[in-house]
Amino acid sequence: MTIPTARAIVIGGPAREGKPGAWYRRRSTHNSIILNAFLMLGAITMLTPFVWMVLTSLKSPAELAQFPPTFLPEEWVWSNYTEALNAAPFGLYFRNSLIIAVSHTIITILMGAMAGYALARIYFRGREFVFLAFVAMLMIPTYTKIVPQFLMVKFMPLFGGNDIMGQGGTGWLDTWWALIIPGGLSAASIFLFRQFYLSLPKELEEAARVDGLNEFRIFAQIYTPLIKPAIATVGLLTFQESWNNFLWPLLVTRSEDLRVIQVGLAVFQQLDNTQWQYLMAGTTLATVPMVLLFIFAQKYFIQGFTHAGIK
Amino acid sequence: MSIFERTESPPAPPEKPPTVVTTTRKTRGLSPAERSKRRAGWLMVAPAALHIGIWTLIPVIATFYLSFTDYDVFSSPNWIWFDNYVETFQDPVFVKSIWNTIWYTFWTVPVSMAVAVVVAVALNQGLRLQRFYRTAFFLPQVTATVAIAMVWLWIFNPQYGLLNGILEFFGLPGKAWLVDPDTAMWSVIIVGAWQGIGIKMLIYIAALQNIDNSLYEAASLDGASAVRKFFSITLPMLKPATFFVFIISIIGAFQVFDQIYVLTDGGPANATTMMTYEVYRSAFQEFRMGMAAAQSVVLFAFLLVMTLISRRATREED
Repeated sequence: MTIPTARAIVIGGPAREGKPGAWYRRRSTHNSIILNAFLMLGAITMLTPFVWMVLTSLKSPAELAQFPPTFLPEEWVWSNYTEALNAAPFGLYFRNSLIIAVSHTIITILMGAMAGYALARIYFRGREFVFLAFVAMLMIPTYTKIVPQFLMVKFMPLFGGNDIMGQGGTGWLDTWWALIIPGGLSAASIFLFRQFYLSLPKELEEAARVDGLNEFRIFAQIYTPLIKPAIATVGLLTFQESWNNFLWPLLVTRSEDLRVIQVGLAVFQQLDNTQWQYLMAGTTLATVPMVLLFIFAQKYFIQGFTHAGIK
Repeated sequence: MSIFERTESPPAPPEKPPTVVTTTRKTRGLSPAERSKRRAGWLMVAPAALHIGIWTLIPVIATFYLSFTDYDVFSSPNWIWFDNYVETFQDPVFVKSIWNTIWYTFWTVPVSMAVAVVVAVALNQGLRLQRFYRTAFFLPQVTATVAIAMVWLWIFNPQYGLLNGILEFFGLPGKAWLVDPDTAMWSVIIVGAWQGIGIKMLIYIAALQNIDNSLYEAASLDGASAVRKFFSITLPMLKPATFFVFIISIIGAFQVFDQIYVLTDGGPANATTMMTYEVYRSAFQEFRMGMAAAQSVVLFAFLLVMTLISRRATREED
């Protein structure tokens, strides 16, 4: 997420579901056939790699060695999936990715919502400065911080055999700490939460104060229940980004026990004689959770992506 | 901060303007309730501020510092001024990676933007299947780049790949797509453009909802064709969105890494290496942390220029 302001710049208002333009309604069915043909062709192009992935994962090695390739499997080898799990511990990788993505989501929602709320609704000295600092941090690309992040993880004092000066051991390298803590929160999520809290009316907090609620309870019991859709949006974006992350887990882990699924795929592919049917089975496993999440929570994803600009 | 103005309400006025006093006891004179409210504000921001401070602010400062040193993890850093920068700009591979990054961006961004705007307009016509189409075009955006690059690796496979199979069907000769220096970059560009359509389409769809229908109705009365309406109304009205999409796409394209790692490993003969890839190589294969930091500062400078241009332009739009 580089610039979180697509909506701010482009439109300003909340998204509406695709509403047909009135100028179109008078159009002939002839035109809509052309449109449908065009879009169908495009959609097929977009989906072909996904279909090909699933079909490949169900073919036998002999069939994969044919040229030109067959489209549908001659024989549907469902056992490829169980065999893939033996060829490489994709189940373990899947579990690791899941643990990390869930942790990142929880940390982001807790810390991001709290900070976003305070920045939006409580006046305190230095608030504007803190906010601007977050905005500046949000613009920082991954590659401008990754080298020192790696060094900080390696020289983390008193972990992994390191002394108080961070020397002598491996620090957080190859630990859950390295996988979960540094990527646990993004400045973008704080920014999004702040925007959502800003959109709520002030009368609620005034009423709550009269009732004697303290700030934490106003945050937790009055305002946060009102932004459940925003929590879903930020949560899903965080989950997706974490699940799909590759570079960081690649850098900070060596052992198979901590390997995430994206890295697991890359390692499996680099083995001699790539077994494509197993690799595609693993790839399907890595892809299916996001596809399902997207299909069932499309509304929140779309709201999030138009808000957040780009991953 | 002009880009944030539209969605942001003005900051709540402080009950006591904290302007004049600059001693340590600024909260003097505030009611106990107000004081505890402010303390709560700080407490709620603190965890996030601490996290971002440690894992973003410190690393950014450290990157700039390291870029002026010869740090290599094993021995302590020496200050060497601009030697890393001089060396990296004399390194033909890094210079090539800059050109590769620009070339990759030059093709993926306009191509996927053109497809995205046409698809967005077509999807805005209220077709019955629009939800399906939208899902299809957006799916590559939500799935992991590594995973889908793996599928493309198989599609590009010179011996058994789908792409060569399709070419064979039409009687055309196959190619060693990712191995041949002439086609490797194009293969990477195809994957990048294919994956990038979804997000651009989504922003265009959102922007299209804001175009006033009366414009189209007036044009219809004047007998304008659909193509004419697209070029005379839709595209001009989409100008701010187009600019925004353009900038974020460039910023995204400059940071391409995952698909290079999977598809070509920067090869053949550095034909597809990118700036990000050179940072990765310097830091994690050669352990030249100072050099990697300098290269990442160069990348950062490119992105900063893009961001500043976008800020200036959006300010003018307002």
